[in-house]
Amino acid sequence: MKLSYRFEQTSCRLRLDGLPDYSAGQGQDVIGILTGWELSLAGHPALEGKREHLAALMQAVLPYARHLVSGVPRRFGGEDNPVQIQPMEGEASVMSHRVLVRSSQPDTSPLELAFDDAELSDLVRCLDQVRLDPRVQVDFALPAEQPLPRREILERIPLRQRLASPLAAMAALAITTSIGLMLPLPRRPAIPTANPAATEARPEAAVDPVP
Amino acid sequence: MANASLGESSLTQPPLTQRPAGARISRRGLERLDLMLLSVEALDLNGGEAMVWMAAQLGFGDLFPNRVELWKRRCYNPLRLACRRGELSEPETDALISLLCALADRLYPMLRQLLSSSEPEAVTDQRWGLFQGRLEELIRERLNPRRGGVQKLLDPAYGPQLRRQLIHGLAFGAGHGGFDRLKASLMDASA
Repeated sequence: MKLSYRFEQTSCRLRLDGLPDYSAGQGQDVIGILTGWELSLAGHPALEGKREHLAALMQAVLPYARHLVSGVPRRFGGEDNPVQIQPMEGEASVMSHRVLVRSSQPDTSPLELAFDDAELSDLVRCLDQVRLDPRVQVDFALPAEQPLPRREILERIPLRQRLASPLAAMAALAITTSIGLMLPLPRRPAIPTANPAATEARPEAAVDPVP
Repeated sequence: MANASLGESSLTQPPLTQRPAGARISRRGLERLDLMLLSVEALDLNGGEAMVWMAAQLGFGDLFPNRVELWKRRCYNPLRLACRRGELSEPETDALISLLCALADRLYPMLRQLLSSSEPEAVTDQRWGLFQGRLEELIRERLNPRRGGVQKLLDPAYGPQLRRQLIHGLAFGAGHGGFDRLKASLMDASA
């Protein structure tokens, strides 16, 4: 029996078609074998494909959203991936996101979509619904959410700002050292026991006979 | 994008709740968490009451039975005027994040309006201005103005970017699906 489920979030609607995988012991209302899907986005052409394509979309969009929450958006999906997403600096403070969808069909140019933050968050919420719905038991090979390492966080700080503190510290050290070198060395204080006059006077007194 | 092939269909999907055992959120993470809760209060005039109500709805009535207990947990934010030392336990931070996700889910239409570029610019600017006014009022009331982080939030040059970052965190962390994303983000290494 063919199943069809619909997930909606404001400007985004995703329809999944599939069948239960009885060999995996799934119930009759669970999609275990995804036969097709269609994603309708307001103001953009509809996308459709098979399980692999939806997995590629999720594998690019969800980690991108994860990085966006940490304030370090970067490109996801390589040149040979069906879906690629990267940040695009738009007008003023509105950051847009460019999604490139490649078809494997010959003579089909890649489709480029530009999303604003609101459209992207709709898409992410829609994909979250699919990911967490117990009625959809499809393996999308999504990586676990992990804290970002220091290396990736540092990228959001401009190089000039990042180098400012160590350079200031080195300059302060150099100035202090040069001032220290310019100061004259203190004279060695006279030690009473090492006074040559006192040591020389004593043998003279012993040698000189008393008249 | 029909018929494109990935060739990685045999990959197994690890659970999204996988995380290092016993890992706690740093002071920097607690600071961001409290600032996002403060943003919720700036967006919703009844935010303080909504938090206690939502905590009870989510089953955290024992942890946060009233506003004072909630406030005590939020005071681990180092930018607070009445700042507390130490770190929160994992169940407490998980409860606060779940609470934040649920509140963000409730406020999602407002968050979407702020982030949308399809509406007239004047309307969007007015919305951001209203949010900025309420947030700055709350910051001056509750946070320590001598801290650099607070001064940056109130700075006309850095403020808009930081406020947008807070709204991003709320919009992409809204709902049940945003919990892991938001928690992992709050556990990021400090720069």
